[in-house]
Amino acid sequence: MSIEARPKMPVAQIVFGEIVYWITVLSCLICTVGPLLSIAFPDNNVMNPHYLFASIWKGNSSDVVWKEVGGAFPGGHFYFDHLTKGDGFTQFGLALGCSVALWGLIGTAIAYFRERVYLYVVLSLWVGALVALAMVGIVGLH
Amino acid sequence: MRRLLKSPWLEVNVMLAVLIICYGAMAIISWGAETPAGGMSGGTIWLWLFGFFLLSFGIALVAVIGGIGGGVLFTPFMLAFTPVDSLIVRATGLIVAMFSGLISTGPFMRGGLASLRVCIFCAAAYGVGAFTGAQGAIYVAKNLGEAGEGAIRLALGIILLSLAVYFVVGGKKIEWPQVKKVDGFTKWLKLSQPYYEFSLGKVIDYPLTRAGGVLAAILGVGLLSGFFGLGAGWAIVPAQNLIMAVPLKVAAANSGVLLGMGDCIAVWPYLLMGAIIPMFAAPWLVGQVLGGLLGALILIKVRAGFVRYLLIGFMFFGCFGLLSKGLYMLGVIGPVPLWATGVAFVIIFGIITRSIIRYTKSEA
Repeated sequence: MSIEARPKMPVAQIVFGEIVYWITVLSCLICTVGPLLSIAFPDNNVMNPHYLFASIWKGNSSDVVWKEVGGAFPGGHFYFDHLTKGDGFTQFGLALGCSVALWGLIGTAIAYFRERVYLYVVLSLWVGALVALAMVGIVGLH
Repeated sequence: MRRLLKSPWLEVNVMLAVLIICYGAMAIISWGAETPAGGMSGGTIWLWLFGFFLLSFGIALVAVIGGIGGGVLFTPFMLAFTPVDSLIVRATGLIVAMFSGLISTGPFMRGGLASLRVCIFCAAAYGVGAFTGAQGAIYVAKNLGEAGEGAIRLALGIILLSLAVYFVVGGKKIEWPQVKKVDGFTKWLKLSQPYYEFSLGKVIDYPLTRAGGVLAAILGVGLLSGFFGLGAGWAIVPAQNLIMAVPLKVAAANSGVLLGMGDCIAVWPYLLMGAIIPMFAAPWLVGQVLGGLLGALILIKVRAGFVRYLLIGFMFFGCFGLLSKGLYMLGVIGPVPLWATGVAFVIIFGIITRSIIRYTKSEA
């Protein structure tokens, strides 16, 4: 079947797919490069990788790992202050990937609004709001 | 050659090139570096990072095709075989569960195998259910006790067992459900959306029904998922397929997208409390993205029967876990040894592999 004869996908669906896809690819690239920076410059990390892995494999809890290797847990969004450090940069990649649904749903809501499909504007914003509230620590599912 | 420079192969090639360069450079640096006193050697760190990536890649490949979160495979095995703290494992398990779903969202949305409207509709209900479940868990755990939790797990196991048996005997009816009547509420939601099915070489226009029923079911699945901290892929696929008559491949694709979306909410408490450790979680994320993308491209092309067999395997294995844990919590049996879980896994997936081979031969 020719590509022209295949069903055309709704704009909102394409917008959501593309935003989520490309930000996830970007997040993957950051998380590939980040560990290299950590290994290449072990002292330029919040937690030195040589001690970090030894502490994790001892079975220590995350609190103990942060305390033992990094002094203390510097906060959930610590990557903003440590972007030039190997693990700070890696955590930025992780956080970017973990917030991707929010950016996708904002784009989707705009696309649905332009198509005047208001029910899905509301549903997109509702799910997006849950992600946003989770990011600031208000909503927790587990 | 031109094909390799077009999406998705272009980004796959870029990611692979960056991966090879980075891991190559890491290997050279690690083996040349001095190990500080009391620390782990660079070579060992590199081996762990690369091993994590390979394992994650394999898990993502299978998880996307089955429409389940990879955490179902990752979390129990990491808890069983490594001394890593359970909170770190569960937090990293969410990264494993969500990123294969997130990367597969692109190909599924472009090709129409997944339907965004169905995903958003289900995510709205799932979010409410999971949030309520998580809040309820704090209160009810104090009153329900271990026996109550055991009884619920046992009930879930029996439901899952019945669904798995129905998937075995249901055959083509499961793969391509027939809808006799579309109710008014489902029609109003405008959820149906035709797509081009590669394995059949034709456009599939699937009418849907009983959207109200699936709303209640997903709400319930979310409630249990939030309450117990369980993965929900095993329940989301049959809920869509059996209640709303979503074709099996579409249900698996929707489930992947939905898990990615839902876990973007679930993962943040772990990130904010420091349970996701960047150097530990990063290779798992990278493996999920590359494996998930490849899995999505395979799912678009494979026949629905292949997906059905894979799902049956996951359902029986999930059922084994729920029943054994439930019976243990009720004090009926002792703790299930690790080797027994391993044997169950090998037997179930041995039978599934044999069935898939026979199915592939009969379809050829």
